[in-house]
Amino acid sequence: MRDELIRYIDLLFAGAPEAAEIKQEILQNTLDRYDDLVNQGKAPGAAYRLAISGIGDINEILSGNATPAYQSTRSDQTAAEFQELSPRRKMLRAVAIAMYIICPLPLFLLQDERGLCGLLGIVAVATALIVLSAGKRKPGGARQDEQTPQQKLRSSISSVVWTVCVIAYLAISFSTQAWGITWVLFPLTGAIEGLITACMDLKEAKNHED
Amino acid sequence: MSIAGDLIRGHTDAIILARLLHGDSYGYEINKVILTLSDSRFELKEATLYTAFRRLEELGYITSYWGDSGSGARRRYYTITPAGREACYRLLSEWEQTKEIMDQILSLEEEA
Repeated sequence: MRDELIRYIDLLFAGAPEAAEIKQEILQNTLDRYDDLVNQGKAPGAAYRLAISGIGDINEILSGNATPAYQSTRSDQTAAEFQELSPRRKMLRAVAIAMYIICPLPLFLLQDERGLCGLLGIVAVATALIVLSAGKRKPGGARQDEQTPQQKLRSSISSVVWTVCVIAYLAISFSTQAWGITWVLFPLTGAIEGLITACMDLKEAKNHED
Repeated sequence: MSIAGDLIRGHTDAIILARLLHGDSYGYEINKVILTLSDSRFELKEATLYTAFRRLEELGYITSYWGDSGSGARRRYYTITPAGREACYRLLSEWEQTKEIMDQILSLEEEA
């Protein structure tokens, strides 16, 4: 049975030739356990089974060989999740930074108000992307963390709406020079945002009824 | 495994460090002492033990070396470092506090 135990562990590590040291250590500990059990009067078959069940889940080691996952408390896991930005957020942030870098381009090319308008527009969109990508990590994080998905969606929509509003205001104002009247865009946007919120509330209320 | 297995496994680091305070040791020996001290009610899986060893080594709390046993088998022995001792005492005092808090919270006596 002792040879079978060695063969069992050989097979266990067959797919991981790089884990020779791990194998050596676990093999020795398992053989020690087996010998001990036999010395205590256990039948070889029973000792074999007990020794094997004592190994546990080997994938726990092999999957994270170099840096084993910290497996203790839930708060540690949550902390790691907070530190790690999701790929989608990383992408948003990268695009935003790229936009900051190329934002003077319209001004250089057009050399007039439209160019300036383009520059400000790009900056506005990039800032909106940063706000969207920040999510949980915004200053005053503690309060943000407790937001429901619904509230998060709402604040995202709100930031997009206002960004579009500013871009439209600048674009229309510069192109028509009708500065005296274009400000109505702002109260208009406020009304639109209120409408969106109302629609979402209505939908939420309906979902609760179902 | 016994009733509070998960609860105890959460303290694997403290258990290993506390055992190594008594002197250098290797995986099976540590596990055997745990089994004896717990009246055969608790022991760690090899995989859990191994993962904890690597983690503690990375943190600089323990170091390891290969030693030969009498029977010619190669065993990996572990030594606790000064930083490991410090961490161990810290974990022990944390455990004392945890125990006290849990006792008070779970107490069945009426509040004064």
